Amino acid sequence: MKKLVLITALFIANMAISQTIKDTIVSDIQVNSAQRMLNKTDTKLTIGGYGEITYNQPESLNGELDVQRLVMMFGYKFNDKVQFFTEIEYEHVKEVFVEQAFVNYSVGDNISLRGGLMLVPMGIVNEYHEPTTFNGVERPSGDNKIVPTTWREIGVGVNGRIPDASLSYQAYIFNGFKSAESDGDEVNGLLKGSNGLRGGRQKGIQSTVSSPTFSAKLDYYGILGLRLGLSGYFGETQASDDIQDIDGAIIGVSMVGLDARYKFQKFEARGQFIYASLNDTDLYNELTGKDLGSALMGYYVEGGYNVLPIKAKQRLVAFARYEQYDTHASTEDNTQRNDAYNRNDLTVGLSYHIVNGVVVKGDYQFKNNALSGSTLNNQLNFGIGVWF
Amino acid sequence: MKNSYLLLLMLILLSFIIPDKIMKKADKVIAKYYEIENFSKETIVVSEEINSITPSEFGKSNFFKIHSENNLIGYGYIGSALSKTSDFDYLVLFDSEMIIIKSKVLIYREEYGGEIGSKRWLKQFNGKSSTSDEVIYGDNIVPISGATISVRSMTRSINDLLKSIKTLKNKKVI
Repeated sequence: MKKLVLITALFIANMAISQTIKDTIVSDIQVNSAQRMLNKTDTKLTIGGYGEITYNQPESLNGELDVQRLVMMFGYKFNDKVQFFTEIEYEHVKEVFVEQAFVNYSVGDNISLRGGLMLVPMGIVNEYHEPTTFNGVERPSGDNKIVPTTWREIGVGVNGRIPDASLSYQAYIFNGFKSAESDGDEVNGLLKGSNGLRGGRQKGIQSTVSSPTFSAKLDYYGILGLRLGLSGYFGETQASDDIQDIDGAIIGVSMVGLDARYKFQKFEARGQFIYASLNDTDLYNELTGKDLGSALMGYYVEGGYNVLPIKAKQRLVAFARYEQYDTHASTEDNTQRNDAYNRNDLTVGLSYHIVNGVVVKGDYQFKNNALSGSTLNNQLNFGIGVWF
Repeated sequence: MKNSYLLLLMLILLSFIIPDKIMKKADKVIAKYYEIENFSKETIVVSEEINSITPSEFGKSNFFKIHSENNLIGYGYIGSALSKTSDFDYLVLFDSEMIIIKSKVLIYREEYGGEIGSKRWLKQFNGKSSTSDEVIYGDNIVPISGATISVRSMTRSINDLLKSIKTLKNKKVI
């Protein structure tokens, strides 16, 4: 009865979803026609998708209900070596983006070349962002303000695995962030203190390219239950021809990330640390009137425990996550450091996986910053997430 | 005599069902594992009737005895399981007592989830047999973050295989 009440309460209040039709196919002997189509052994086309419907309720303010994302995924296998993969995203119902669109060419069993619009491998959530793969209705704030998820650009590269060493690697040349643009009269800066590089994502939309950037990630999974990642991103921002020679129009970006995920029986934990160093931010701020910091830093640690039996088909994960993220981790001489950008969130909540692929989430976030006398609104969130 | 011709014909036909490339890879793994160059594989023929009641598929000359110098040194099974958008092929080697001694992913065909090829992870199935406890994802089989779908799929495949072997034993196929 207690469980029923909990389920009902969670249902009424909210939802967020998780996992794959593939799972369903494998786990159930019975498959429907759509699933059979997806059972790709005989088909070249794969259809999938994920979505998040969220409810955010800040204290003392009105709430927001949103179909935050609905993403349709299509994969087509031309032959065993050549595949095309794309994700078409609807954000907030009305904005359409292409989130990924790349061709993958397997040159060997464990090595592929890729080209197109791809995710930049940095930290955990940028690559693994389906709502059933992370706790919390909203992605970690550091995966918004420091790593600007969903961060994707057009590029080419290689990825592969070394199974005997339990190691995987990725290395790409991507187009970079756009730092500024000109409307003919003045230069407008796209990067700013409150969210760092986020405004500079070009997302493959008629993007400006003036220099390549380099991105790489190594993952090690040779210790049972543990997965460790080391990411790096290096290069300069991009600017159009008319402003590229102006001091401050282009800045340097170096970002490194460390991440870890651990699962053992009913326990799960993850953590991430990201540090980005930006060059020439004083020149940039002088040119654009912005307050971009010269270093961004964010980390989080999270622990979760599935309170249902391991053999149960459902999972109910209680979790807590603490994160700190500062887009003014340092500033150059002429930029005043703003303590309001040095923030921390404590998020506690539940992720109720009613089936592999569907999650209902609820959490409460205690938000703070380092500015003395400042009070931020704490926030209650509910969400429904699906991934298939 | 007639029967053995028929059997030979069947073997020849069946040998074309598992693609050459996969068979060659499996041969390499067997040679490396046993540290032998010369060995032969003898297909274990499973009737359609029995195949239909086993959760694993045995119709493709994919289950065989491994002989070296006329001695039975073990058994091999080549299977296929689903990853997120594709499938992957794997080989499971058993000793002569039908206890798993090695499993290996032969070909993985998509970008995510390939971590299940990890030697360290696959070692978890060693020592399992049709009489040991069920392998359970998240319990006695540790997950890999970022490869959940493939890990579940491989775990399920091994479970199915062990259950199938139980059936084959009961039916005196092996």
